[in-house]
Amino acid sequence: MNINSYIDLYQVLEDNPTTIEDNRAFGLKHKSLRGKPQKQLLAWADKYKSKLQKPLISLSFSSYLYGITITLVILAFIFGLFSGMGLLSYDGKEPVNIIYFIAMVVFLPIFTMTLTALSMFRINQTKSILMHISPAFWMEKILGWLPSSIKDDIKEFKINPLLTNWIIIKRSQLVALSFSFGLFVALLGVVVTQDIAFAWSTTIDITPETFHQFLYFISAPWRYLFPSFVPSIELIEHSQYFRLGDRLSPNIISHASSLGEWWRFLAFATLFYAIVLRLLVLVVSHLGLRYAVSTSILKLIGTNRLLREINQPIINTNSTQQEALFVPTHDGYEQTIEKFKEYDYDMIQGLGMRYDELLVISDSIGLSSPKHAIVGGSNSLDEDDKVIDDSSGDILLFVKAWEPPMMDFVDYLADLSINDNVKKVIIMPIGTLEDDYKTTDTYIDIWANKLSLSEDGKVWLKR
Amino acid sequence: MILSHPRFAVVGHPNKGKSSIVSALAMDDSVQVSNTPGTTTKRRSFPLSVDGKILYELYDTPGFQRARRVLAWLQKHEVRADKKHEVVRAFIAEHKSDVRFNDEIELLEPIMDGAGIIYVVDGSKPYGAEYEAEMEILRWTGQPSMALINHIDSSDYSQEWKMALGQYFKMVRTFNPMRATFVHHIGILESMSQLKEEWIDDVKESIILFEQYQTQMIERSASLLARLLYDSISMVDKLSIDKDEASKEDKEKIEGKYKDKLRGFEIDTQKRMKSIWKHQHLAIEQDILPFNGLDLFSKESASVFGLTRKELMLMGMTSGAMTGATIDLLFIGHTFFIGGAIGAVVGATGGYFGFDELSDIKILGQNLGKKYLEIGPMKNKNFPYILLGRALYHTSQIANRSHASRDKIDIDRHLDLESVFRDKWLTDDLKNSLEKYHKKFRTSDEVEAEILKEYDLMIKDILRGLINDR
Repeated sequence: MNINSYIDLYQVLEDNPTTIEDNRAFGLKHKSLRGKPQKQLLAWADKYKSKLQKPLISLSFSSYLYGITITLVILAFIFGLFSGMGLLSYDGKEPVNIIYFIAMVVFLPIFTMTLTALSMFRINQTKSILMHISPAFWMEKILGWLPSSIKDDIKEFKINPLLTNWIIIKRSQLVALSFSFGLFVALLGVVVTQDIAFAWSTTIDITPETFHQFLYFISAPWRYLFPSFVPSIELIEHSQYFRLGDRLSPNIISHASSLGEWWRFLAFATLFYAIVLRLLVLVVSHLGLRYAVSTSILKLIGTNRLLREINQPIINTNSTQQEALFVPTHDGYEQTIEKFKEYDYDMIQGLGMRYDELLVISDSIGLSSPKHAIVGGSNSLDEDDKVIDDSSGDILLFVKAWEPPMMDFVDYLADLSINDNVKKVIIMPIGTLEDDYKTTDTYIDIWANKLSLSEDGKVWLKR
Repeated sequence: MILSHPRFAVVGHPNKGKSSIVSALAMDDSVQVSNTPGTTTKRRSFPLSVDGKILYELYDTPGFQRARRVLAWLQKHEVRADKKHEVVRAFIAEHKSDVRFNDEIELLEPIMDGAGIIYVVDGSKPYGAEYEAEMEILRWTGQPSMALINHIDSSDYSQEWKMALGQYFKMVRTFNPMRATFVHHIGILESMSQLKEEWIDDVKESIILFEQYQTQMIERSASLLARLLYDSISMVDKLSIDKDEASKEDKEKIEGKYKDKLRGFEIDTQKRMKSIWKHQHLAIEQDILPFNGLDLFSKESASVFGLTRKELMLMGMTSGAMTGATIDLLFIGHTFFIGGAIGAVVGATGGYFGFDELSDIKILGQNLGKKYLEIGPMKNKNFPYILLGRALYHTSQIANRSHASRDKIDIDRHLDLESVFRDKWLTDDLKNSLEKYHKKFRTSDEVEAEILKEYDLMIKDILRGLINDR
């Protein structure tokens, strides 16, 4: 799990090349990853990153980050090397004051590592000032000066600030480590190639005993394993250097051969404080970055949805078939009557009604007829045929407006119309008893539409 | 074709709400629900599948058109009760290509292939004898059956329907697809499972899945709303300015852009919400997110290498302090850390006053410094509740809506009742709890995933209360 995995996941999510079905199929195929969301996401990104347009942002990003980091690392090494050589420069006349070197290899690393630790504790603060003072922070700024095509690619990619902070911290440790290596190499190089007289010197009133206690404390990490690499009180006393114009202290001159022994202490101090501790911080920052990647990938937009799609069963209730609909093209029926005629109808029929009900309806509307008959409904087809045979003249046919006109009705109407004795058939949709048999235009329109399908000259609709 | 999973054919008279019932039970708002009878001409299958495995299947079918003719044909072949279904098969075989019986064939075929019968009638209209032919045909099929009394209008003829239906069906239930809640939905599934012993397990499994599905939808909705609030509150927008001071137009421009983005978040969330609840076809009328009375302050800012004046000052201060502290260390504390203090003051002063000079420095023709207008994060404390209230109302309207309903939702009309709705979900304690999260969203710091998750859970609880409150 590294920054490239994060960027790849980001890019695949942006590109969104999969369907819900693909994602669920992935989840079912990789059952062993269930409950491990980060691993699921990375495995998913790994599977689909081949579909992305090349070059991958992760490659561009890491390549430039690597390029800038390596440049800074080399510069830091050179800077460390020259700083070391400068601090240890020996002209053969005056001994080299080890205090500068101790400050550089012990105090400066401790101070910067403390700042790093503070940065780690405040890692969630996107605008932490501690980040801004890191040289690695400026790498991001340097990216802004890259050639425009590459810049655009990388600019589009919005990295999680938590991740940025960890990247800065980790790269800072690399740069600092490289600087320390430079110092260490300079120390070894100078020690091997020159015979240096080390001494310690300060204007402040510090006794050799106090200085010994201080160095003894500093040497704590290695003094039990390598006691000879801890400066003895004698060495400290012998190598205290007072500025005496162009003359050296006789004490120093008489112990000139032992003054070189300081290099072992300096080498171990560099090795432990500037290199080993820095390596530890580098490892912590590496782990921190890994952790940040693992938490950041869950914060990428789209991961929640993706994880749901991977882990939750697809419940589908929709039809897979196309809906076949009959859309009536006719609109309205032209043969309508608004008022009943003055004389009685030759026969009044009721579709799907009881006989007594039909009589009540006729009476209620104020119509009379010598003949009443029920059709459809519970009638058999033979019974309907008998009614048709018995029909003649003008027929008024009551239908229940709320019931849809079905083909059963159309068949009956066609049969009735064929009867030569029938002159006219008036269809009258009626409402329920509660509505005083009155109905609405909506229902009448439905009946009109149905009648328009047959266009029979004998058939009229009472509106 | 023998299929192992339970199937149910929704049959009945034309225009009695069969498609509405299927639409509600299948949670599919794409089903055409029409006032014009006979619009469904082909049966359509609605399988409930989990990862491709079908648990049960519903069929929406055309209504009976020539029931009396079919029954007459069947009755011509008077046989023993145990052979009646064979006569129905014979009818299908003989009339398969007869267009007159297209609708009857479409509805009888799945039944004769083993589907249970769900016979739908409209309980708001009187019972009529014309239904008897249909019910008799269904009895001839010999398949397990139940009747559903739908209520298309407000009148109630349930009692006479129940008397009649009881003669033909062992189970009669009332179900209004337009007002059906999730509980009613599950109740109908329970009844369907009782139709045949072999179907009980599959349908019960489906019920559990539907419950999980409902939970999933609430979770997804809560995540979506939590993200909407986080994105909207924390959003910061910038507008680069070339001049020394931002003009009125610049301020109007950045405010307009900011409002549009927030409205865009809301619209996008609403669209996704409809998709989660499978209401893609639902028409909703709602005014755009208002900003009346909300002061949206935009402030001028500048940066040098991406650092603000304050940051540059702090950076100068830290760098100065570091340098001074190094000197202090060289004197092993004998300087009483004056070096660090002086370094900090000099660095901070340099950073603060050097900011403008640094801004004007040009490298390769580009100024190191940039000036811009900045707006956001949203500081108005009332805004999150306006946004959340609208989003919750919108979500509850969608979630509580039957898939059979085709009416438009006019949210603004209902939002007149905003205070009533607000009382429904927002208590003082809840407001205090939510405010803690809103405060975090207002900072520029990255919000931990866990914090968003906690917020997500709070929204989920609110939603659960609103969605179950039907």
